[in-house]
Amino acid sequence: MPKIVFIEHNGKEHVVDATVGKSIMQTALDHSVPGILGDCGGECSCGTCHCYVADPAWQQRLPPIAENEEVMLEGTLHTEANSRLGCQLKVTEEFDGLVLRLPHSQVL
Amino acid sequence: MSSSTVQWDPYNADLVPNPYPTYKRLRDEAPLYYNEEYDFYALTRYADVEHGLRDKENMSSHYGDILEFIKAKSRMPDAVFIHQDPPIHSAYRSLMQRIITPKRMLGIEQEIRKLCARSLDPLVGKDYFDMIGNLGAEVPMRAISMLLGIPEEDQTAIRESVDARMRTEAGKPIDFAKQQDLQAEALGNFEEYIKWREKNPSDDMMTELLTADFKDPSGTTRKLTRDEISAIVNVVAGAGNETTNRLIGWMGKTLAEHPDQRRQIAQNPGLIPQAIEELLRFEPPGPFMARYVTNDIEYYGRKIPKGSALMLMVSAANRDERRFANGDSFDINREQRPHMTFGNGIHVCIGAPLARLEGRVVMEELLKRFPEWEVDYENAVLSSTSTVRGWDSLPVWVGSKPKGAVAPKRAAAPEPEVASGPVPLEGKWNVVVKGPTGPQPAVLTLARSGDSFTGEQTGDGSTSQIQDFSYDGKQIYWVNRITKPMKLKVEFKGEINGNVITGKAKAGFMGSYPFTATKA
Repeated sequence: MPKIVFIEHNGKEHVVDATVGKSIMQTALDHSVPGILGDCGGECSCGTCHCYVADPAWQQRLPPIAENEEVMLEGTLHTEANSRLGCQLKVTEEFDGLVLRLPHSQVL
Repeated sequence: MSSSTVQWDPYNADLVPNPYPTYKRLRDEAPLYYNEEYDFYALTRYADVEHGLRDKENMSSHYGDILEFIKAKSRMPDAVFIHQDPPIHSAYRSLMQRIITPKRMLGIEQEIRKLCARSLDPLVGKDYFDMIGNLGAEVPMRAISMLLGIPEEDQTAIRESVDARMRTEAGKPIDFAKQQDLQAEALGNFEEYIKWREKNPSDDMMTELLTADFKDPSGTTRKLTRDEISAIVNVVAGAGNETTNRLIGWMGKTLAEHPDQRRQIAQNPGLIPQAIEELLRFEPPGPFMARYVTNDIEYYGRKIPKGSALMLMVSAANRDERRFANGDSFDINREQRPHMTFGNGIHVCIGAPLARLEGRVVMEELLKRFPEWEVDYENAVLSSTSTVRGWDSLPVWVGSKPKGAVAPKRAAAPEPEVASGPVPLEGKWNVVVKGPTGPQPAVLTLARSGDSFTGEQTGDGSTSQIQDFSYDGKQIYWVNRITKPMKLKVEFKGEINGNVITGKAKAGFMGSYPFTATKA
């Protein structure tokens, strides 16, 4: 099982065993990681599973940002060059060791 | 286990004040519930409601998300995207997603704050006000109008715009045919404003709707038609007004009942965002969403046949103890887990960022001025419809309520004295419509010839001939077609008692407002 690390805005770390095939958003929800809402359930329609890819090297390794994710990210709060929507990242074995930082809030 | 089988009648007015014990029984005893009388299924546990809302394979919004609409197999124009499945839904939703963004909503925080000040500042120093009439009915209406670019002077009565049409009387299902007529009329009225905005572009959402390119359901890139814009705006304006108004009412009621938590929040406003989430979880303004089931499916070993209507009860799911410890208690400090008040899946509320923003700013501005209040339940009015549950009126005492205090008379103006006998209809009547921004005066002049009446109405500097006048000795009805600030058909329907007429004035898509007319 690939291990994924979520770091809350206050620095609190959550190391979780992810299931291959599930999204990063669902992985966070399944492990009750605070800071990911996932209001739309993975439809790229709400922008409440926003996270930052901590390591620039990982940005290249992740699947590229598709058009719908890009459009959603444009309207999402506090985005940076390393922003992703967790619902658009399907976990594979290669995700082992991925570190994601969470914004201070998904809604303000 | 309770001795009798749990029953849930969505039209039972007795359940409106506290439906939650019934919801708990449904979750525990009948997690898949079937109501024979109205022929629908219901899911109440969090995991099931979530699964249902996300289930694109078996759940359809083709006939909308309201039980009565689904039973009537109602269809709406494509652009009413809440009423569609992919790919039609996706085409309009993705366009709207570009326009109604969290960034855009957060960008108007200061404006929302000003709207709150405008509603709340005049109340400072008073002992008593209405959380709905003075706050809930004003701020969301003005916020959505501002986003749409509706000029200030035209906003006088936009509240209750669309959802007023969907209002059910307690204990009665929606009158579906009537609703459709009203819908058609509402769409027609908005046309006028759109035409005007087309000639007067600005940086508002309406201008963006008029100019944005999108890929329509057939794959053609084009602009929205006026009909499509009308439909979209009606959905957006309606949803934005009614639900956020209800959220503000629940804020007033719930915080009053939890004074310790209210004090904690007032002392530490940093808790407000989580207090809003807890409030949304605890009292969702839209308690349920319905779907049309497109394939035979199974829950708890029982079949839900293809063609059924299925209620997905977020208000029950949000209190499911399987997910939220002590789900029936309000606790702003509870472990933060997402709720489903905004729905889930492809139809999740597109206005959620605005609702959260308004909720937060209203709570901040309210507590800043009024850290404590007490609800006057004797004069409060709670209602529930097929779409929303909340307060129509929630009067409160602010500060310390004097011992033995009596609520002030509800009417702002002294009640006119009722003459003992009937007065002749002909002559001048002073009409006052109680709009959300204050009383709107007008003069109705009636002339009699034989048994029939004609007349004219003057208000806001213009005069028009009234139409369709009728009077049966008690009930009176007339139509006034106004042109300022926009073309609108206003229907007056009232009852005469001596020299006073009381009733409702319905201003097209803008909703209904009480009026009184007194013989001059």
